This record gives sequence, C-alpha cells and structure tokens, in this order.
Amino acid sequence: MKKELAPPSAAATAAVPQRKKKDFPSSRTSTMDAFQGLLKFFLNQKTAIGYSFMALLTLGGERLFSLVAFKCPCSAENTVYGLAFLFAPAWVLLILGFFLNNRSWRLFTGCCVNPRKIFPRGHGCRFFYVLGQITLNSLVAPVMWLSVALLNGTFYECAMSGTKSAGLLDLICKGKPKECWEELHKVSCGKTSMTPTDNEELQLSLQAQSQILGWCLICSASFFSLVSTCYGRCRSKVSYLQMTFWKTYVEKEKEQLENSFLDYASKLSMRNLKCFFENKRPEAFPMPSFAAWEAASELYSFHQTRQHYSTLHKVVEDGLDLCPEEDETTMVLVGTAEPL
Amino acid sequence: MEKFQTVLDQFLKHHSALSYGLVTLLTAGGERIFSSVVFACPCSAAWNLPYGLVFLLVPALALFLLGYVLSARTWRLLTGCCAPGTRACGGSGLRGLLVCTHVSAAAALAPLTWVAVALLGGAFYECAASGSPFFAERLCRDSEECKAQLPLVPCGQAGSAKVQDLLKELKAQSQVLGWVLIAVVITVLLVFTAVTRCLSPVSFLQLKFWKIYLEQEQQILKTQATEHATELAKENIKCFFECSRSKEHCTPSMKDWQQISALYKFNPKDQYYSMLHKYVNRREKSHSVKSSEGDAFVPILGFVDSPGITSVAEL
Repeated sequence: MKKELAPPSAAATAAVPQRKKKDFPSSRTSTMDAFQGLLKFFLNQKTAIGYSFMALLTLGGERLFSLVAFKCPCSAENTVYGLAFLFAPAWVLLILGFFLNNRSWRLFTGCCVNPRKIFPRGHGCRFFYVLGQITLNSLVAPVMWLSVALLNGTFYECAMSGTKSAGLLDLICKGKPKECWEELHKVSCGKTSMTPTDNEELQLSLQAQSQILGWCLICSASFFSLVSTCYGRCRSKVSYLQMTFWKTYVEKEKEQLENSFLDYASKLSMRNLKCFFENKRPEAFPMPSFAAWEAASELYSFHQTRQHYSTLHKVVEDGLDLCPEEDETTMVLVGTAEPL
Repeated sequence: MEKFQTVLDQFLKHHSALSYGLVTLLTAGGERIFSSVVFACPCSAAWNLPYGLVFLLVPALALFLLGYVLSARTWRLLTGCCAPGTRACGGSGLRGLLVCTHVSAAAALAPLTWVAVALLGGAFYECAASGSPFFAERLCRDSEECKAQLPLVPCGQAGSAKVQDLLKELKAQSQVLGWVLIAVVITVLLVFTAVTRCLSPVSFLQLKFWKIYLEQEQQILKTQATEHATELAKENIKCFFECSRSKEHCTPSMKDWQQISALYKFNPKDQYYSMLHKYVNRREKSHSVKSSEGDAFVPILGFVDSPGITSVAEL
C-alpha cells in the first residue's frame, strides 16, 4: 500500500513545479517581448524620432527666448533687434549642422594636400554637388527655427514695427490714424498715443502677417523636400528593395567598422605598451598602408557595372590600384543615408 | 539591457559634442546665478563702468586660465622645461609658438561662451554702458538732465520715464552684440576646422582610427602602469624587509620616459600613431625618436598630445 502511494505523490510533486515553470516564464517573456518589440520599433524609426526631437528642441528654445530674453526696445533699433533674434540662431543652427554632419569632414579632410582627390579629372562638379547636399541637410534645423519663431509672432512684430521704408509703412498703417506713421516702433510696448483698440489692432495684424509667413514657410519647405526626394528616387538607377538593403548594409558596415577599430586599436596599443615596459623588440603587426586608408576614405561613387555597396567594399574587391573610371556617376540617395 | 546599451553608445559616440554642450550649459547656468544672485549694479556715475566690466571680463579671464590648466598639452610642453641640462623645450621657437596658439584657441572657447551668454542676459552691459561717458554722449545727445540720470537707469530710479526707457535700448544693444559674437565665433570655428581638416595629410578614416587608438593607449597605459608599479613596489618592499639583494627589475629608464613624453611630430614617411609607437619601433636601441628628418607640425594632429578631456586629471 505504501509503495503504491509513494510514486503518485512523487509524480504529483514532480508535475506541479513543471506546470508552474510553464506558466510563469511565458507571461514574463511575453511582456519583455512586447517591451523589446516596442523599443525595437522606436529604434527603427531613428530618423523620424531624431527630427521630432530637433523640432521639440527648437520649440523649447524659442519659448525660452521669447519668455526670458526677448524684449522689444520700442525704438529706432527695432528692426536690427528683431532680425538678429530671427536670423542669428538660424545661422548658428546651420553651422552646427555642418559641424555634426560626418560627410562634410569626409569631404574636407585632406583636400588642400591633395586637391586631385576632390576634383578628379572630368568630375570637377562632384565637390559642389556633395557640398550642396550637405547644405540642404543642414538647412532643416534653421528652417524649423524660423517657422517656429514666425508662428510665435513677437520677433517679426518687433522687426516690422521698426521699419522706416515708406512702402511698408503705407501697407501697415493703411486706414489708421496718422500717429501710426510716426510711432509705429512703440506699438509692441503699447506706448503709442493712439487708442488701445487701434494699438491692439496693429499688433494683431503684424502677428497675423508673421503667422501667415510661418505657415507659408512650412508648406513650401515640406513641398520642396517632397519634390526633391521624389526626383532623387526617380533618377535612381537602383531598385527599391536593393536600396533598402543598401541602407541596411551601410549601417551595419558603420557598426562593424567602429568595433574593428576598437579591437585593432587595443591590440596595437597593448603590444606597444608591453614592449615599452618589458624593453623588448615588437613583433610585426599588420596594418593597412597609407594608400589603403586614403582609398577607403573617399566619398562613395556609384558604378553602373559593378555592385559595390560602399567605398570599403570597392577597395576590398578591387585591390589598391584604383583609378577613377570614365563612366562613374554620383549616387544620389545612398549619400543621404549618411555613411560614417 | 542591450538596447539601453545601444542608446548609451550613441550618446558616447558624440561625446565631444556633448561635452561642449555641457560646458555651454554650465556657463549659462553660472551666468544666470551670478546676474540674479550676486550682481547688484551700484548705480553711480563713477562705479557703474568698472563694476560692469569686472563682472563681464574677470570670470572670462578665470575660465581662460582654467582652460590652460586643464589642457594636457600645456603640461606636456612645460614639464621639465627649466630643469638644468635640458635643451629648449618645445623644440624651435616657431613650433613652440604654434603649439601655444593652438592651446590658447582651445582655451578661449569657455570665456567666449561666458561673454556671449552675459551679453544675451544684458544686466552687465546695461550697468557698464550707463556709467560710460561715450554712451551718455551717444544716447543722450545734448540733454544734461539725461546724462545726469543715466547711471540710475539700471536700478529703475531715473526721474523721467523717457530716460528710464533708455534701459530697453541698452538691453537691446547688449543682446544684438551677444548674437553677433556667437555668430562670428561659430563661423570662425567652422572655417578654422575646415582649413585644418583640409591641410590634414591623413585621410578621414585613418584620423578616426587614430583617435580611437589614442584613447585605448591611454586606458591601457593606466592599467599597465598600475600593474607594473604594483609589481615593482612589491619587489622593493619584499627586498627591504627580507634584507636580500633585489634582482634587477626591468623598468623603463628615465631616458625612455623622456622620449615618449615629447610632443608628437608627424613624419609622412612613417605611420606611427604616438611617440610610444614611434619609440617602440625605432631601428636601433640607442636611436632617439625626439626628432628626425621630415618631421612636420600638423595642426589637425594636436589631439595626439591630449587624448580625452580628463587626461590631466588622470595623469
């Protein structure tokens, strides 16, 4: 009897924890999976998130400036003051865009030492074409700032109220009492000798003009970017799926390059430091030659007959005897995927 | 957790841009604190100008000197300069001057940020300008009453409202000056960086690898130096307590250390990434790597002597 009882209890105890093991991890892994899936989705939309972050930053910066720093002087210096607040941050954002774009440094590094690298025979315009692309990429942040600032209205209002040009004054002060022509610059502070209603009307009309200009800027900028993207895709010599693969390849190559740089750099420095401290001769450490580095650093150019996904790919498959071929064309869209 | 690591890695990749951003934020925060807590314009004709200028310029000078102190290149250049028996430090006069200019330009960034943020705030300039006779002449034209009341304007104590309104003009001038300074500085920075990159004899990817190599070398130098120092110390103390003859522990000589501490010189014939690399690969044992034919000073390679932003604190 005892023997018969024992096995079922053992089996029962053996079965229970197994059942527990099956239920507990599945709910936990499903939440972790969902979380990971969500995170992966967000990381895939890196560009969209990056641009939205930039937009939020510009919006925040503009709010900060108008609340904290901007106070229209209500004098003859209105125009200069308003224009400085509108355009100086835009200029700074443009230059920062140049600084943070890796392609500009890839383009400029070593160009004075070897101008033939930047202006190869028969492809002199390539430098300006790439420079134009970099400028267009860097113009996104300044345009965002300008549209946000114009939608706010205070900067434009201050700048326009300081105008001395007869044509603009006629346009703004049409149908208003004659004090408008002389005292327009005091409108932002509400200190004109006109009635408060008139004052407010003028302020509102200036703000309305500013907001209309802001919306026009947003519309034209988005339309222009759509048209240029369509044009670029239209002229692309590569199919849609291959282009998607290309972008993925470029990203992966960038990651792998960073990892191998780190790897080789630690091995080389380890070897050097060991030899220094132990006072030994170093063993040979194979590294790419000067010419190989130069060849790998060139800006990518698409070749119709060969399927190379990057300059590194080209260098590795062609060996080191590279010379620019006659029928090379510059790839429009892979460049915008920002390789390194 | 790997996804968080990826995000963190993205931030660390742009660490130099982030550190400049951090310095700017710190300067801006410091300026806000100063102008709201510490600064109180004296509103007197004799003291406004010096008070405002001191608050504007003295912190800038302090930040400039701090920039020199925190730069590893300064100490690399100066260490052992005046010791008897050593030849002129930093090589020839022209090279030393070029290196000095480079270090000064890097140290000038923080003070310029301070001045720009202070001008955008407006309080210091308002105080200084209201005490200056030049501005009194320009703003007040011929009104004697205005000129007398101008120094009281930053405290809001001017008699007539018209004179008090001049405060807004002063603030506007200060802010426009601040924006112009920011725009000019950033344009000059871009042009200078583009020109140095242009003159670089080394390609883009190799420069990137070079920076990573130097960081790794610094890290491994620290760990290896700690290890080596521990072994050497243990050996010495053991021999001291056991009163036995210490065996010759192999440690680099003073001459070796001097050789690798020299300022880096680029030679287009070789591909050496640091003085240590050059020294380890020298042809003969007694060969000096401090200078050889074909050595050139390349502005873009200034980072070789000062890898990382906390190199002085660690070294």
